[in-house]
Amino acid sequence: MSARVSTSVAVLIAAVAALALLTLTYGQIALPLADTLGALTGTQSTDLARQIVLDIRLPRVAAAIIAGGALGMAGVLMQALFRNPVADAWSLGLLAGGQLGVALTVTAAAFAGPAAVSFLTLFEGPSITLAAAAGVAVAALAMLALGRRVGAITLLVIGLMLGFTSQGLTSVLLHFAARAGGRIYGGWQDASFAGVAPEALPWLSLPILLGACAAVATAKSLSSLLLGETYARSLGVKVTALRHAVLAATVLLVAPVVAFCGPVSFVGLIAPHFARALAGTARILALLPLAALGGALLALTGDAIIHAPWEQHFLHLNAILAIVGAPVVILILIFSPAVRQWR
Amino acid sequence: MLNLQSLTVGYRNTRGAVLSGIDLSAVPGDFICILGRNGSGKSTLMRTIAGLQAALGGMALLDGEDIASMRPATRARRIAVVLTERQFNPGLRVDDVIALARQPFTGWQGGLADDDRAAIADAVEVTGVEPFLRRFFSDLSDGERQRVMIARALAQTPHLMILDEITAFLDLPSRVEIMALLRDQARQEEQIVLLSSHDLDLSLQLADSVWLLDDAGGFSVGTPDQLSHSGALGGAFDSGAIRFSPERGRFEIAASGVGCRREA
Repeated sequence: MSARVSTSVAVLIAAVAALALLTLTYGQIALPLADTLGALTGTQSTDLARQIVLDIRLPRVAAAIIAGGALGMAGVLMQALFRNPVADAWSLGLLAGGQLGVALTVTAAAFAGPAAVSFLTLFEGPSITLAAAAGVAVAALAMLALGRRVGAITLLVIGLMLGFTSQGLTSVLLHFAARAGGRIYGGWQDASFAGVAPEALPWLSLPILLGACAAVATAKSLSSLLLGETYARSLGVKVTALRHAVLAATVLLVAPVVAFCGPVSFVGLIAPHFARALAGTARILALLPLAALGGALLALTGDAIIHAPWEQHFLHLNAILAIVGAPVVILILIFSPAVRQWR
Repeated sequence: MLNLQSLTVGYRNTRGAVLSGIDLSAVPGDFICILGRNGSGKSTLMRTIAGLQAALGGMALLDGEDIASMRPATRARRIAVVLTERQFNPGLRVDDVIALARQPFTGWQGGLADDDRAAIADAVEVTGVEPFLRRFFSDLSDGERQRVMIARALAQTPHLMILDEITAFLDLPSRVEIMALLRDQARQEEQIVLLSSHDLDLSLQLADSVWLLDDAGGFSVGTPDQLSHSGALGGAFDSGAIRFSPERGRFEIAASGVGCRREA
């Protein structure tokens, strides 16, 4: 790892930690930094402070960091796999596909009867993660097949459109599911880290950890795919196997995020660009930690803004992410040499 | 040492065999130009020798080993390719591109050791790409890009280098420079360099050996002198408009006048 990459990693870790700590201190009830630290370390603190910090705020902050990191890494993988600077799990409709997968499963269970619903509820973590994974995988395969036929920008537009379609279907399906008695996963169609219960954190983080390992394992070969399929093969890469491995890693990283946090937009699209700018290289292995930390920082920033002590809780995570993210995407579309080549 | 043993190249679809039963050999240090008109099978032959496409029959051996059945990693250490394919490379800088050549030699992380760095430094120096090492690959002109891809192939320190119409985008001085560079590289590094080109004059002046493909699936091999005097060059390229002159060793416009009238 070059000095530039390791310095950036260190600075980003410090920034994420500082922002996380700050976010833990505020909300409906403001807590002094000392109390927050005390609650975290288990030393001198009130029961109330401990409850607020550990049971309410920490799972949310942890979810933001883990999900943001996962989306950042998935963005690096997808931009390399599709050789497309605007590819990411959200923009190419993978998140919406995952939502549709969950909605279909819930609807099927609702119409199958109360037993199926209670089974789903009992194994909520694994069942919705699996359903989301199926949806993410189908969407990813479809986009990969399309990506060979159309240019980068066309693929982006198609991805966004398919995303809207899936989200529309999800909304309709969940409505019918609710009427048929499957009133689960209600307010999950909007992105949020606040809905992640402490007991759901392992289900969120375990697949993401596996996905991160897979991403690191494929990083070297994936770097050579940046030169195109033929050159990658001439460098000894088995391209088809690599595609499958990268796809599997992406599903592992993205599915739990959809299942527990909903369609978090823009994070995975921007984080890789941020990582490339910091790293000064496109080598995947150097980009992965930077994009993970950048994604975590961005997700956490969004979360910190919406949970600031406003008089009312009225801001949505995706609203903040869009305000930050959309202009960045526009700049990429205008100035990125890679995009210019395809216009 | 490259040996082609009754190699038949082509496609398993309706196009079928493009070239059949090629028996040839080349020794380290050979600078070989493959000449032929568009569609004569140059690229197919080169892709097959590079192990990127399956042969329809026969085999290509490098240092006694069948290229098609080599492990991909082994093949990547011995054969480097440069193609004309335009690729889309998000965020890839020139130094990244050249460093990727060392992948077959590095560990799972792809970190560079001293000999990797030395190979890269040599390739950069020989090709003169130093001034744009930190630029984005997609920002380069076609000529610069081709130079970088040649640097990448050199950094791979192959036994066999296969270059498909790489001079197409270059101006005349650069073409001469690149072809001379590759010829010197072949001699000094004891590599076999296989280059397809439309640049007849230049190829005939520089090649140790020419593989000549005509439109009918015919194949002739020899030194430039042999091929021009045997009439094979004329056979492959003569059309109504141009004709090979063995006396002058180059192509001439057949029709009189500047307009180059088409003959009936």
